[in-house]
Amino acid sequence: MSSTAAQRPNGLALFILPSALLFALFFFLPIGLMATMSVLTGNPVVMPKVAFTTRHYARMIDDPFYLEVIWTTIRIGLVTTLVALAIGYPLAHWMARIKSRTGHALLLMAVLAPMLTGIVVRTFAWMTLLSDKGVVNQTLMSLGLIAQPLKLMYTETGIVVGLVHIYVPFMVLTLTGVIGRIDERLEQAAENLGASPLRAFIEVTLPLSLPGILAGSLLVFALAISAYVTPILLGGFQIMTLPILIYQQISANFNVGFAAAIGIVLLVISLLLVIAYNRALGLVSGQRELQ
Amino acid sequence: MSASIEIAGVSKIYDGGVRAVDAVAMDIRQGEFFSLLGPSGCGKTTTLRMIAGFETPSAGAIRVDGADITHVPAHKRDMGMVFQNYALFPHRTVAENVAFGLRMRGLDKATIAAKVKAALAMVELSGLEDRRPAQLSGGQQQRVALARAIVIAPRVLLCDEPLGALDKKLRQQMQFELKQLQKKLGLTLVFVTHDQEEALAMSDRIAVMNGGRVEQVGTPTEIYNQPTTRFVADFIGDTNIFRGERTTTGTGASALDVGKGLILALPPTDAQGTGVLSVALRPEKIRLSPRGDAAIAAGSSAHGIVENTNFLGGAVLYRIELASGHRVLVQQPNAGTSRLFVPGNGVTLDWTPADLVALKD
Ligand SMILES: Nc1ncnc2c1ncn2[C@@H]1O[C@H](COP(=O)(O)OP(=O)(O)OP(=O)(O)O)[C@@H](O)[C@H]1O
Ligand SMILES: [Mg+2]
Repeated sequence: MSSTAAQRPNGLALFILPSALLFALFFFLPIGLMATMSVLTGNPVVMPKVAFTTRHYARMIDDPFYLEVIWTTIRIGLVTTLVALAIGYPLAHWMARIKSRTGHALLLMAVLAPMLTGIVVRTFAWMTLLSDKGVVNQTLMSLGLIAQPLKLMYTETGIVVGLVHIYVPFMVLTLTGVIGRIDERLEQAAENLGASPLRAFIEVTLPLSLPGILAGSLLVFALAISAYVTPILLGGFQIMTLPILIYQQISANFNVGFAAAIGIVLLVISLLLVIAYNRALGLVSGQRELQ
Repeated sequence: MSASIEIAGVSKIYDGGVRAVDAVAMDIRQGEFFSLLGPSGCGKTTTLRMIAGFETPSAGAIRVDGADITHVPAHKRDMGMVFQNYALFPHRTVAENVAFGLRMRGLDKATIAAKVKAALAMVELSGLEDRRPAQLSGGQQQRVALARAIVIAPRVLLCDEPLGALDKKLRQQMQFELKQLQKKLGLTLVFVTHDQEEALAMSDRIAVMNGGRVEQVGTPTEIYNQPTTRFVADFIGDTNIFRGERTTTGTGASALDVGKGLILALPPTDAQGTGVLSVALRPEKIRLSPRGDAAIAAGSSAHGIVENTNFLGGAVLYRIELASGHRVLVQQPNAGTSRLFVPGNGVTLDWTPADLVALKD
């Protein structure tokens, strides 16, 4: 027993090597490059003379436009996360608790099926629904509920709708795993002690699923703030977010340094969230270790 | 105030057609320690969950103190339950777990604190108030579950194999404590177990279940000494079961011909009727002596050879092959090394016909 345990790490280390290399190559190298570019005056590959500078960051902080873009991006991320949570939690709870196997399979299909279609296709589908002459407005107008078409496309609302549709499965799958591991008998014990089903949920299931809520929210938020296709198609460049800005800086302005700086800002937002997530989890860790 | 429970023809068919409980009827009296005993999958948990309100019966009714509660939701039934795995709230401390039911009843903080303190003292857990369930031993968790259930002074306490996870020593201690507590508080307690010794030791009455049905309801002595069905005789303790055709002996007495030349005299109570009958004879009701030359009483004794022995400490269980070829178990008190038999010994067995118990199949 102890001899095999002693030999194991060596064997394991070999197995880890390829993925460690891959990780270094595709994770640290690009991020390192990006970080470097963000503090250089130009692209060292095409310009031999480059110097250290902080002007890309200064530009972002000094110009209210860029601060506004950062805030818009975060706002879209937050709203998307909250809506995805509101839709995803009941669905996940249903999936985790459903008794019938076919019912579970059908729900899983319903959640996963949209993921089998490309993001572009799904976003175009939303465009046909949300545009001024789209299905939603046409229906509401023909019913006489509205006189003027509602402005659904090229607004933050439209972007959020599209993003929620794309990222709800991530929320559901994360939550289903966590809720599924909560013993149903805990809720029953609460009911047995006099708690109504709603009270039992609030007192027992909800707090025990907090780690899942945090993890799912983190995932959806990180994906939403770095989304590119949906904000472009449904926002039509009317709404500016950080990823769109990066794209413009690279493809239109060829300002790689500034684009890299924006990328770093996006990364820092996500990292701050991960740190906050770990803190929050630490606070409820009593629950986590006991599950 | 504890209550009586009436289970009237209750059945439960799960989705998918499993008939887990089949026309079960029993009356559980107020203040009674009532056990549901039976093999795995016989419907004990399902029956208990229907009493608690976690499952709805497919047929029949459940009444508490005469009032029909079949469709009353679980949280309005005022019953305490100790789950098989305890189901303690992992995110709450011991004190919070015990306080939960009191909080749901809207009691004020001071009253809750006092009751929690008293309940924890009763199960001897004072000082562990601020621990989390994961920081407790199995026996301590079990006691928290018990305290949580009885602190609300339920009308009925339901326990689903609450001692199943404990080692033997702790289990015996907890059996004793639970029984003490039940008597002291005058609780109506429905206790699920598949351990027959546990049921015999603790219960006022036992319902033996098999395949979703109740085979027999009775006191531990009734269940052990007068099993009414083959299943009960077989399930509770060791037993010898003989099956044969009723006949009449030369003297005109009623007897059972179990084949290969072995005839058992039947007690007068079972002498009526004809046809096939099964009877049970407990191993400890058979007396064993060294084989002598004297003639043996027909119908209530036989010769045999000890096949093997199983030393139980205070007693010895012998497996004996009768001259007729039947194999029987005989249990004798351990009366000292010099009086023990060893395999190969010739022995004479004799018993009292009145100890034969007729069984329904
Ligand atoms: N939710 C369910 N759906 C379908 N069948 C079930 C369900 N729960 C239990 N059963 C079936 O009903 C029967 C009785 O189950 P139950 O849990 O009441 O048995 P038990 O006597 O408590 O057994 P054990 O001693 O193993 O706990 C079993 O055949 C079981 O497979
Ligand atoms: Mg069970």
